[in-house]
Amino acid sequence: MHCALRLSAVGRRYGIRGPWVLRGVDLAVAPGTLIRIEGANGTGKSTLLRLLARLDAPTEGRVTGRPRTAYVPERFPAALPFTPLGYLTHLGTVHGLSRATARRTAGTWLERFGAGGYADTPMARLSKGSSQKVAVAQSLLGEPELLVLDEAWTGLDAAARAELERAVAERTAAGGAVVFVDHDPARLAGTPDATYTVLDGGLKPRTDGGSSPAGPLTLIVARGPAGGALPPDAARTGATALETAPGGYRLTVPASHSDILLRALLTARPPWHVVRVTPPPDRTPAPDDLAPPPEPGSRP
Amino acid sequence: MTALLRYQLDLLVRSQRWLPPVILYAAYLGIGVQSGQPVLDSLGFTAGGLLPVAAWLVRICVTGEPDAARACAAAARGPARAHLAALLTALLAAAALGVVATSVVTLISAPADNGHQIRVPLLKAGAAGLPATLACALIGAAVGALTNRPVLRSTGRAVPAMLLGALLSVVLTGSPAQAAVSGLVTGSRTGRITVPLLPLAAALVLAAAAFATAARLSSRRSP
Repeated sequence: MHCALRLSAVGRRYGIRGPWVLRGVDLAVAPGTLIRIEGANGTGKSTLLRLLARLDAPTEGRVTGRPRTAYVPERFPAALPFTPLGYLTHLGTVHGLSRATARRTAGTWLERFGAGGYADTPMARLSKGSSQKVAVAQSLLGEPELLVLDEAWTGLDAAARAELERAVAERTAAGGAVVFVDHDPARLAGTPDATYTVLDGGLKPRTDGGSSPAGPLTLIVARGPAGGALPPDAARTGATALETAPGGYRLTVPASHSDILLRALLTARPPWHVVRVTPPPDRTPAPDDLAPPPEPGSRP
Repeated sequence: MTALLRYQLDLLVRSQRWLPPVILYAAYLGIGVQSGQPVLDSLGFTAGGLLPVAAWLVRICVTGEPDAARACAAAARGPARAHLAALLTALLAAAALGVVATSVVTLISAPADNGHQIRVPLLKAGAAGLPATLACALIGAAVGALTNRPVLRSTGRAVPAMLLGALLSVVLTGSPAQAAVSGLVTGSRTGRITVPLLPLAAALVLAAAAFATAARLSSRRSP
């Protein structure tokens, strides 16, 4: 299997005689996969993510592969003498974009996270949440092949949290790998390709995959070929399809991946027809949502 | 690398943390150099004073970013390259400061030896002062690279080590910076100009080795 990045028997300790934080860790990160890392506080999750982002070199073992990487730290201090737009333009060029492209892309991402209004405010005056939006935008500028998120959702408002989930879905749909740590068990629920637990300095794959709590689900009613299967791109979003009538389908998909699923349906050959989209019931529908009020019991 | 350098340079300029060392260097030159003094002596003084300034600029550049911001830039290009960019930025700033100081001092000094007996052409003196200044900038940057993050991380250890290192590299025989400066000072006594190309080459090698060591360590020490 082609791997973006592979850790082989990796160990890390700080200082020559420090205790091992991690030892004997094997992990393969394939392109397009979403990997969740779990573990209690202080078990070495952040160290593992720093190894994956190649910020830390392993004390023993090997890290192979050099994907274009972006990293979001848990807390991003605003003590930088730039405006968000200035900082992101610099970081965009560091990620390999031209100056003009970096500036344009930076503006787009700030808009997406609802921080477009602060684009020219000095970063020292930003709130904690707004600086975190800058950190997140920084990581998405260069369309990285590997995105490492260390509790990147912490401090974001609800709209930005959902936007980041959608951005992660876009990244994996575009073939990028994403590795994340988050304390919310419902974060991107139902969509990680693998979940690992950091325990006693080692990494254990979590095999009870079905037990991960369900997050918000979007219901999509669509028409497609009778008796047909979902298009391959749509199947990868974690969607489940139920054929209610010949050619009529009720699809449920994790809310973060609904845009990806819709895009896959609409661009399939022949294209599917989307009849209705119902957002998750616990989400306050925005005024421009075309969805009718959710029917009772529509959530499977 | 260009993008990282531009980022670091912008960070240095906007942070305004370069002001204290530059003001201190200007004050040092204001006290020690006066117009009409023998040119080579003044150039030696100018070069020697730049060494601790270069070390200080390195400290400013490698500690300029918060850890989280450093990690973001380092993830994109690798921590070694990100660290190297910070070191090179400091070296560039020190070199630029040295070139300006050397030019000004050359222009205002007397074209003569210490006894005002032998004529020392200003242009040739400047041509000898410039490599000496650059050698001092290189050695200062090397001292800064080896006495700051990631080699020494606590301020309590880094700053005394840096100051001691800078002092020793100005006065100890065998240091390229000391050789370059004493070449100018001796030249001012005898009226003979020696261009310190050998000390400059040695300083280049030492600075390259120090930068490589610090950059290599940047992913090995804890954040």
